Amino acid sequence: MYLIKKQQVVTIAEEMAKSHTVYGPVVEKNTGQTFLDSVSDISDIDLNAPLPSLPPKSILFPQIEAIMKYSYNQENKEAKISSIVKPEAKIIFGLRSCDLAGIQCLDRFFLGQEFVDEMYLEHRKKTFIVTNTCTTPFKNCFCACTDSGPSAKEGYDLNLTDLGEEYLVEVGSESGKELCEKLGLKKADESHVKQKAAVVDKSLAGFEEAATENKAWISRVMNRITTGFISQDIWEFIGDQCFECGACSFVCPSCSCFNIEDYNNEGMTHERLRQWDSCSYEGYTRMAGDHNPRKPIEDRRNKRFFCKLSYSQSRKYLRPGCVGCGRCAWVCPGDIGLPNVVTYIRREITEREINK
Amino acid sequence: MNYKPGICNFCGTGCGHLISIEDGKIKGVFASQNHPVSKGRLCVRGWHIHELLRSDDRITQARIKKNGDFAAVDYSEAVAAVIKKLKTIENPSEEIAVLASPRSSNEESYLLAKLSRCVFKTNNISIDSESGHRNSLNVLYAGTGMAGMLGSLTEINQADFIMVVGSDITKQNPIVGSEIHKAAIQGTTLVTICSRNTQIAKLSDYHLQVNPGSKKIILAAMAKALIEENIHDSNYVNEHTEGFEGFANTLGSLNDNDVETLTSINFDDIKQIVRKLASAERAMVFFSSGISGLDEDTISYIYNLFLVAGKVGKPGCGINPISGICNLQGSYDMGAAPDLFTGFQSVKDDKAKMKFAQAWGTDIPASPGKDVYTLLKSGKKIKMLIVIDHDDGIIRYPKEISNCDTVVYITAFKNEFSKYADIILPIATYAETDGTYTNTERRVQLSTKKVEPLNDVLPAWKLYAMIAKEAGVNWNYDSAEAVFKEIASLTPVYAGIDYNKLSDIKGIQWPCNNENPQGTNTYLLGQERVKFVPVSGVFNTTSSKMGYPFNLMTGKANHFWHQNNLMKRTFIPKREYNATLLLYPRGYVEINPEDAKVLQVREKWPVRITSQYGSMEVDVKISNDVKPETAYIPYFIRDMLSGFLMEHKDIFDQGEDAIIPIRIEKV
Repeated sequence: MYLIKKQQVVTIAEEMAKSHTVYGPVVEKNTGQTFLDSVSDISDIDLNAPLPSLPPKSILFPQIEAIMKYSYNQENKEAKISSIVKPEAKIIFGLRSCDLAGIQCLDRFFLGQEFVDEMYLEHRKKTFIVTNTCTTPFKNCFCACTDSGPSAKEGYDLNLTDLGEEYLVEVGSESGKELCEKLGLKKADESHVKQKAAVVDKSLAGFEEAATENKAWISRVMNRITTGFISQDIWEFIGDQCFECGACSFVCPSCSCFNIEDYNNEGMTHERLRQWDSCSYEGYTRMAGDHNPRKPIEDRRNKRFFCKLSYSQSRKYLRPGCVGCGRCAWVCPGDIGLPNVVTYIRREITEREINK
Repeated sequence: MNYKPGICNFCGTGCGHLISIEDGKIKGVFASQNHPVSKGRLCVRGWHIHELLRSDDRITQARIKKNGDFAAVDYSEAVAAVIKKLKTIENPSEEIAVLASPRSSNEESYLLAKLSRCVFKTNNISIDSESGHRNSLNVLYAGTGMAGMLGSLTEINQADFIMVVGSDITKQNPIVGSEIHKAAIQGTTLVTICSRNTQIAKLSDYHLQVNPGSKKIILAAMAKALIEENIHDSNYVNEHTEGFEGFANTLGSLNDNDVETLTSINFDDIKQIVRKLASAERAMVFFSSGISGLDEDTISYIYNLFLVAGKVGKPGCGINPISGICNLQGSYDMGAAPDLFTGFQSVKDDKAKMKFAQAWGTDIPASPGKDVYTLLKSGKKIKMLIVIDHDDGIIRYPKEISNCDTVVYITAFKNEFSKYADIILPIATYAETDGTYTNTERRVQLSTKKVEPLNDVLPAWKLYAMIAKEAGVNWNYDSAEAVFKEIASLTPVYAGIDYNKLSDIKGIQWPCNNENPQGTNTYLLGQERVKFVPVSGVFNTTSSKMGYPFNLMTGKANHFWHQNNLMKRTFIPKREYNATLLLYPRGYVEINPEDAKVLQVREKWPVRITSQYGSMEVDVKISNDVKPETAYIPYFIRDMLSGFLMEHKDIFDQGEDAIIPIRIEKV
C-alpha cells in the first residue's frame, strides 16, 4: 500500500501514458454527460466525475469491431485472411468498483470457459486498471446490494481511495507494484487503512434508502428466481412494459452478448464484424427453421433477470451478474430496470404471503 | 472527446444521442442523458444508427444513363444535363414535378423549394411518405393558427389525462410511447382507442377496442356525452372559442344505440372516460401523423372534442399529431408543398408571394401546384421528375414513373429506385454536413457535421446551389448556417432562431420571435378566439356487407421500417424488422382464434381473402390482438403489394381507418 498526494495522482496516468493509451472519465462539455474516453490531454480526466454513462466494456469489447478481414482473388485463386484485432496497450484511470466487477463478469464469460475469446483476450491482457473508490454514491447506484462497491476488493492493478489530502494506493498486481516503486511513492500504514474504512462507511451511509432497503431483497429475489418460484404473471407484467430497444444490454457492464456479420466492402474485400446484441430482441434466439425458444417478450425478460441474478454468474461463479451500477434504470423506456423488477417481484412475493 | 452530441435522424421524436468518431470514421452511438425529450433513452433504431452511418453502400459518383447503362460522370456534367433538359420544357408548371424527402434537413428542403419555384419555375413540389401530416396541420392551423403540434413532449409527464388514438406508438415513436407509459405509471389516466390490442393499449387504464373504421363515431360520441352531461367547459367555450353551435348541431344525428352497435363500446364506458377528460387540468391526445395517419375529418373530431372539453390553449395540454419521420414537420415548415411557402404562408396570399418574390429576386409561378402523387395518378405526362432520397411510398407508382421523360434522383445511399432514374446525383448523409431538423413538437435542433463526406460528395444544399448556378441563378451561400439565416428572415415563426441559440442540446420550439425569444413549448390562448373546425357530420362505417362478413384493417407503421431503405443497411434492426417476413414469407392476415376455429384453419395455413375487387391467397396468423370478425393485414411488406391490395389504393389514401369488407375461406 502506498500514498500519493492529491495533486500528484495524475502522475500515475502520465507515467503510463508513455506506453499506454489513457482512458478515464471525461465530461462532454455540451451535454454534461460523463464518458470513459481516451484522452490526449490527461487533465481532461475528472476523477470526481459521476459514474460514466458508458460502461468500460466499450473499451474491451467495442460496440462494433472488425475482427477479421478477408479477400479472395478470382484470377489467381488466392485467399487472404487476417485477424485485425491488435489493440494498443491501455490504462483505464479512474474506473469505479462496480464497473470493475462488470469487467470481472466479462472475464469469466470470455476467458473462463471452454473457448477463450481471442479478441477480448487481446484487449484485456493489455489493459492496466486503476480503480477509484466512490466516496459518495451517485444517483441510481446500488452496489451496496450486489457486493460490488463502493471500493474494489480485487481485480485491479491499483485501487485509489481519496483520504482528503492524499490518495491511498492499494496494489493488486505485480505491474501495479512496479509502477508505485517507479514513482517512488511513500508507503502507507494501518492508520491509512482505518481512514479508508471510514471513507467507505461514510459512502455506504449515503446510499438512498431504496438501495439499502432492497439489499436483502436482491439476494432473496436471486434465490426465488433460481428456484423458479416467480409466477408467470409477473413476467408477463414485466414483458408488457418492454420496448425491445436493447438498451439494458448495451449499458450493462456485465452483458456480453454479440452478433457476427460479414460485411462486403466496396472492392471485393470483406470484413467480419462483431457487434453488441441483446437478448431482448426477438431475433436473438431465433434459429434456422424459425424455431424460437424465447419468442414471447416475457420469456426474454425472464431470461435477462435469470442471467443477472441466477445462472450463470451466480450459480456457476457465486458472484452476482448484476453490479449495482443503476444504468439500466435510467436507460429503459419501459421503466423495468433491474431495481424496479426486484421491487415488482418483491411486491408479488409479499402479497402472496399475505394472502396465504 | 470522441463522443459528439447529435440528433437521431430516424423518426419524428428527434432523440438526442452522441456519436463516437475514431480516425475520422463513425464508430458507435450512445444515448444522451440530458436531452430534454429522450433523457437517456433510444429505441432499437436509434441504438444502431452507427451501423447505417458507417456503411459505404453509397452512391459516390454522379451517373447518367447512356444507352441503357449508367456511366459515371462528374457533378458538372450531370448538372449540365439536368439544366439542358430543363431548358427544353415549355410548360414547367405542368410538366415538372419535385418529390421532396421528409428526411432532408430544413436548409435542404428550403433550397429545394426555392430551386423548384425560382429555377424550375414550378409549384409542383410535395413530400414523399404520404402527406397524412398535412391533414393534421390543416386542422390545427384552421383552429388555432398554429401549423404544428400544440403540446410538447416534455410536458407529457405532467399530464393528468392522455388519449392515444389508433397509433401503435410504442413501435413507431418508442420514446414518445415511453413518456406516455411513464406518465401512466405515475398516475396519469391513459385511454387508448384502437381496434387492435397494441402494446400501448395493454398499458392503458382504458382500452376502447372499437370496431375497425369507427374511431370518428366514438370521438363524436364523446363530444356529445360531454355536452349532454353538461360537463364540457362552457365558460371556456363562450369566452375563447367560435363555432360551437355549428359543431354541436352535427352531433345531433348520433344516437346512443347506434354508437354502441357501430363501435361495440358501451355508452357507459364512454361517459366514464369523458368525465375523466372533463375533470383533468392537463389533457393531451396523440395520434400518428404521416406514414400512418388519420383522415382530416377524424382529426377534426379529435380537435373539436378537446376544444369542447376546454383543453386547447392551456398549459400542459396538447393536440399532438406525432410525425414518423425526422423532418416531416420541418419539410412543411420549409414549404415543400405545392401551395405553401415557409411557415405555412400560402402561395395564394399576394403579400407572401410578393415577399418571397422580392427576397428571391424572381417571379413565383402564379397558381399553386399539384402534389406529385396526384400528378402521377392523373396520367399526365411529366417531362421531368426530380426525386429526393425518398422512403418507399413511391413504389406504388412504378408504371407511371417509367413513363416520365427524365427522372433525376438525388440521394446518398444506393436504392432500388435508381433503376428508374436517368440522372443520379449523390449527396452527403446527415452526419457529413450541418443541418437543422424540426421534430414533431416543433423543436428545431441542429445536427453538426461529424465526418467528412465520403468521396467528397456534396451536401444537398451545395448541390442545389450548383444546379441554380448552372441555370444562371447565383445564390452564394457559404454555409448551411447562411441558408438558415435566410429561412429565419422570411419565416416569422423561425425568426428568433439562429445557430448560436441552437448550439446547446435543447433546441428551440417555434414560434420563436420577439414575444417568445426562448421559443414556445405549448400553444396558449391568445387574443383571438380559437375556432371549432368544420366536420362532415357523416357517420357511416364501411361495415361488413352481405357475403363479406369480415372487416379488414390495413396497417403500415409496424412494418414500414421493414421496407425502409435506410434500415436495410443496418444489421440488428434489419434482423428485427425482417422477423415477420421470415416467419410469414407471403405476409399474413391476422385473425382471432374464434374465427380460426370456425374457418377450420391453424397458424400459417393458407386462406383466400376476397373483396368486391378481387382476391388473394395469404397465410393466417392467429392472435388475440384482433376481435372476432375483424382481420388485419400489414400491407407494407413488399410481397404483400399484390394486385389485390393495389386495387384498393384509394382506400389506403383514406388513412388509418380505411376498411375493406372481405370474406375469408380456407384454401
